[in-house]
Amino acid sequence: MRVWRKMVAGAALAAALPGLAGAQQAAPRPDQLAFRALYKELVETNTTLSVGSCTKAAEAMAARLKAAGFPDSDLHLIVDPAHPREGNLVAVLPGTDPKAKAVLMLAHIDVVEANRADWTRDPFTLIEEDGWFYARGASDDKAQASIWVDTLIRFKQEGFRPRRTVKMALTCGEESDGALNGAELLATKYRDLIDAGFALNEGAGGLLGDDGKPVSLSIQSGEKVYQDFTLSSTNPGGHSSRPVHDNAITHLAGALVRIGDYDFPVQLNDTTRAYFTAMAPLVDAETGAAMRALVADPTDAAAAAVISRNPTWNSMLRTTCVATQASAGHAPNALPQRAEANVNCRIFPGVPVAEVQAKLIALAADPKVTVTPDATTLLTPPPPPLSDAIMKPIRAQADKLWPGVPIVPFQSTGATDGKYLNSYGIPTYGLTGIFADNGNSGVHGLNERVRVKSLYDARDFLYGLIKTYASAK
Amino acid sequence: MTLGRGLLATALALSLSGVASAQTATPPAVVRPDQLAFKALYKELVEINTTLSVGSCTKAAEAMGARLTAAGFPAADVQVVVHPDHPREGSLVAVLHGTDAKAGAMLLLAHIDVVEANPADWTRDPFTLVEENGYFFARGASDDKAQAAIWVDSLVRLKQAGFKPRRDIKLALTCGEESEAYNGIEDLVTNHRPLVDAAFALNEGADGLLDENDKPVVLEVQGGEKVYQDFTLTITNPGGHSSRPVHDNAINRLSAALVKIGGYDFPVAFNDATRGYFTRMIPLVAADKGAAMKALVANPDDAAAQAIVTSDPMWNSMLRTTCVATMVSAGHAPNALPQRATANVNCRILPGVPVEAVRQQLMAVAADDGIAFTLAHEPSKASPPPPLTPFIMGPIEAEAGKLWPGVPVVTILLTGATDGIHTNGAGIPTYGVSGIFGSSDGDGIHGLNERVRVKALYEGRDFLFALIKDYAMAKGQPKG
Repeated sequence: MRVWRKMVAGAALAAALPGLAGAQQAAPRPDQLAFRALYKELVETNTTLSVGSCTKAAEAMAARLKAAGFPDSDLHLIVDPAHPREGNLVAVLPGTDPKAKAVLMLAHIDVVEANRADWTRDPFTLIEEDGWFYARGASDDKAQASIWVDTLIRFKQEGFRPRRTVKMALTCGEESDGALNGAELLATKYRDLIDAGFALNEGAGGLLGDDGKPVSLSIQSGEKVYQDFTLSSTNPGGHSSRPVHDNAITHLAGALVRIGDYDFPVQLNDTTRAYFTAMAPLVDAETGAAMRALVADPTDAAAAAVISRNPTWNSMLRTTCVATQASAGHAPNALPQRAEANVNCRIFPGVPVAEVQAKLIALAADPKVTVTPDATTLLTPPPPPLSDAIMKPIRAQADKLWPGVPIVPFQSTGATDGKYLNSYGIPTYGLTGIFADNGNSGVHGLNERVRVKSLYDARDFLYGLIKTYASAK
Repeated sequence: MTLGRGLLATALALSLSGVASAQTATPPAVVRPDQLAFKALYKELVEINTTLSVGSCTKAAEAMGARLTAAGFPAADVQVVVHPDHPREGSLVAVLHGTDAKAGAMLLLAHIDVVEANPADWTRDPFTLVEENGYFFARGASDDKAQAAIWVDSLVRLKQAGFKPRRDIKLALTCGEESEAYNGIEDLVTNHRPLVDAAFALNEGADGLLDENDKPVVLEVQGGEKVYQDFTLTITNPGGHSSRPVHDNAINRLSAALVKIGGYDFPVAFNDATRGYFTRMIPLVAADKGAAMKALVANPDDAAAQAIVTSDPMWNSMLRTTCVATMVSAGHAPNALPQRATANVNCRILPGVPVEAVRQQLMAVAADDGIAFTLAHEPSKASPPPPLTPFIMGPIEAEAGKLWPGVPVVTILLTGATDGIHTNGAGIPTYGVSGIFGSSDGDGIHGLNERVRVKALYEGRDFLFALIKDYAMAKGQPKG
C-alpha cells in the first residue's frame, strides 16, 4: 500500500499501546508448507518497477492455478502493450448461482524498490528467521496476494462449488506514480471481468499488544479521496521599484491564510462512528468521553475539539485541505506576474469534489485567485456499508482465531487501490487479518518482515471468510 | 543605468496631455564641424562592443584614452585600469589639472559597458551607429555611451582650447554597471581612490522629458537614489504527511507575514530631491494633485494628501521606502506538509535609512518569531542623498535657461539604481544630469533598437560642456 496507510492503524492506536518481541511457532502444517512454497515463489520474483516484472509473477501464479485445475478460460493475463513488465492476473472460480454477485479478492503484486546493499539480507530471497519472514513484499502486498492464490487453489482442489463467483485480481503499479495502475485499468477497461458485489483488499490488519496478544482487528471501509487544487493569481507585474498593493503574492497569501485557518465541518459515517465507539474504551478517559459524546451528537463542538487534537483523528472527522507547495515570481527585482500554490485536500467520502472547490473559492474570497482541481479527479462515494452481511462472517471467523478481540472499523486518510474500485462502484473493504505490533515492519523501508504465525493465521482467517462469503445468500 | 529609467518619465506622462504623436524626430538644421568631430568619437565608442559576453570595455577605454593623449593629455594623466581577474572589464581614468590645489575636484562619471544585444532581434546592427530619421540607433546610443562620449569630447575640447580650470576635472569611464559580477567604479573608489576622488560627481540618472510633439517638458536632475536590498524570509516546520495536516503550517505562516507586509506602508519622508521635485511639479499636474503635493510638502503626515499623491506608484516610491514580495518558494511534494517556505521581499530604501532599520520594521510588521529575516546579499554602503545646493543647481538652471528657456528643472529621487550608489556611498556626492531629452517610453534602453534623438544628443553635449566649465571655475563646494 502507499506510504500513508500505516498512520491510521498505527498512530491512532499507538498512543495507548507500545511494542513487543518475537513470537513462538508451532510446527507448520503440510498445507502451510505448500502455501509457503507459493509465497516464496511470489516474493522471490522481483516486481519492482525499475528491474522487476509483475508479468512474470502473474504468469507464475497463473501456472499454479492452471496446475490446480483452473481452465485457461478462467485465467486472464492482462498486459498493456505499452507496459510489458506491468502485467495483471484475473482468475475466476465460477459460482453456481448466476444471480449472486461475485466476491473479488484484490491484491497488488508490485513492490517498492529495495537495494540489496542497504538490506541485512537479500530482499528478493525469502528468509525465515526467529519467527519472521523477511523479504521485500513479505507483507506489502505479496502476503495477501499469496493467500488469495492459495485460497483459490485449495477451493479448486477441494472441489468447492461456491454459490457466488469468486474472483481474484492481482495487479501491478500500486506503489509507483510512473507505473500503469492495474486496478484502475481493470476497473475502467475490464469491468465485466472483475465486476463484483464487493471486494476485499489490503488496508487494515490487526494490532498486537506488548505481550504479543491480539488487541484489535481492523477493517477499513472507505477512504478519504486525494485531490490537489491549484490556486493561482496573475498580475501584470512590473518593476519592483514601484510596487503597488495589487500584488499576485499578496492576493495568493491572503487566500492561503484564510484557507489555513478554516476547519471543514465534522462529519461522521458508519465507519468512523464504529471506529470511535470501538476506540473509546481503549484511550484515555477524557478522549474516550469525547468520542462517546461525539458519536451521540456529531454537533458537539467541545468533543470534536478534544478529538481533533490528534491530527489523525482530526483527519478522520472532516475533509482537510492544506497548502503543501507554493511558487511565485521570476526575479527578485520584478513584481510577480504569477503566484501559485498547491492545496492538497483529503475529501471526506461522499463529499463531491465540486463542493470542496466551491468552499475553497469562498474562503479565498478573492476574484483574483482561481481555484482549479487537478486532472485526476475521482468520484468520492460514501464508504461501503458495514452491513451484517459483511461484518457477521468477519466476527465469526475472527472468533475462531482471536476470540473476543474487538473489530475496529476505520476510514483511512490515505489511499490504496480500493479508491479506484470504490470510485467505479465496487464496494471495497480493507482486511488482511495479519497482526503486527506498532514496531517497524519495514514496509516500504529496509528489512521488511511479517510474523510467520501472523501470516499463517491470516491465511486461515481469509480462507474461511471467503468461503463463508462465497456460500452466503 | 541598471534599472528602471523611464519610470519617472512615465509618471509625468500620465499627467501631461499630448496632442499628436511624432514618430520622427526633428533633424538638426545644420551640423557644426565640432559636432561632426564628436559624432566620430561617439561612433567609435558605440561600435566597440562592450557587452559582458563577448565585448571589451578595456578596448573601449584604450580607444578613448588614445583620443585624450592625441589631444595633448600627458600619458601620466590618462590611465586604463584593469583588474587582473577581469581583463576585458577595464576602466579609463583621466584628469585635467586645475589651477587651485585647494579646490575640490569634480568627477565626470559614465559607464561604457552595455546591455547584451542580439543582432538577430534588432532591426539594425546594434553595434553599428546608424543615423536615421533624426535618431542615432545602436546599443549604448543612449545608455550610457552618449554621456561617456560627451565627457571625452568635452575634455578633448577643453584641452585643445587651452582651458585652465580652477578645480581638477577628473574622468572615469567604467565597466560592469549593467551586470552583477564586477563593478568598475566600486573597484576605483575602493582600491584607486586618488584617481577618482572628488568633491562631487556628475553621472547618468536623469534626463529631459519630451512630450508627444517632442517639445521639452522638464529637465530632470537626480539627487540620490533609493537603496536596493533583498530580504529572505524563511520558516521551517517538521512537515509530515498531508493526509493529517495541522494548523501550524510553514506556508500559512509565511503567507500571513506576506499579507501583513503587503498591507504595510512605510512612512512618507522628503529629502532635498523629492521636496524640490514635488514643489516644481505642483503647477504641472492636475489641480487636485497639485494641491495635494503642496499640502504634503508642507506636512508629510497629511493623510488625505498622501492618499492622492501616493496613488501614483512612481510618486509613492519616491516618497517612502517600499518593500514588496517578489518571489515565493515552498514545499517539496504535493502530498507532504511543507518543511520550508521562503520568500524574497525586495525593498527600495530611502537614502539615509539604515538597512537594519528596515529589517527590524519588516519583522515587527510580520510579528512572527518563527520567520527568519536575513539579507539576501551584502548591503550597499550607506548612501546619503547628495545635497541639492545652489552651488549645484545654480549652473544647471542657468545653462538650461539658455538652451531650453522656460523649461522647468526638477530634481528627482531615482527609484532604480546607477553607479552613483557607489560614489555616494564613498562620500562623493553624485548628481545625475545628462541634458539629453527623450520620450517617456525609454527609447529602447535595455531593449531593442535603443536610440537617441540626434538633436537631443547634440544639445545635451552643448549643455554639459557649458556646465562643466561653470563648475570647473566656480568657487565653493557643493555643500555650500
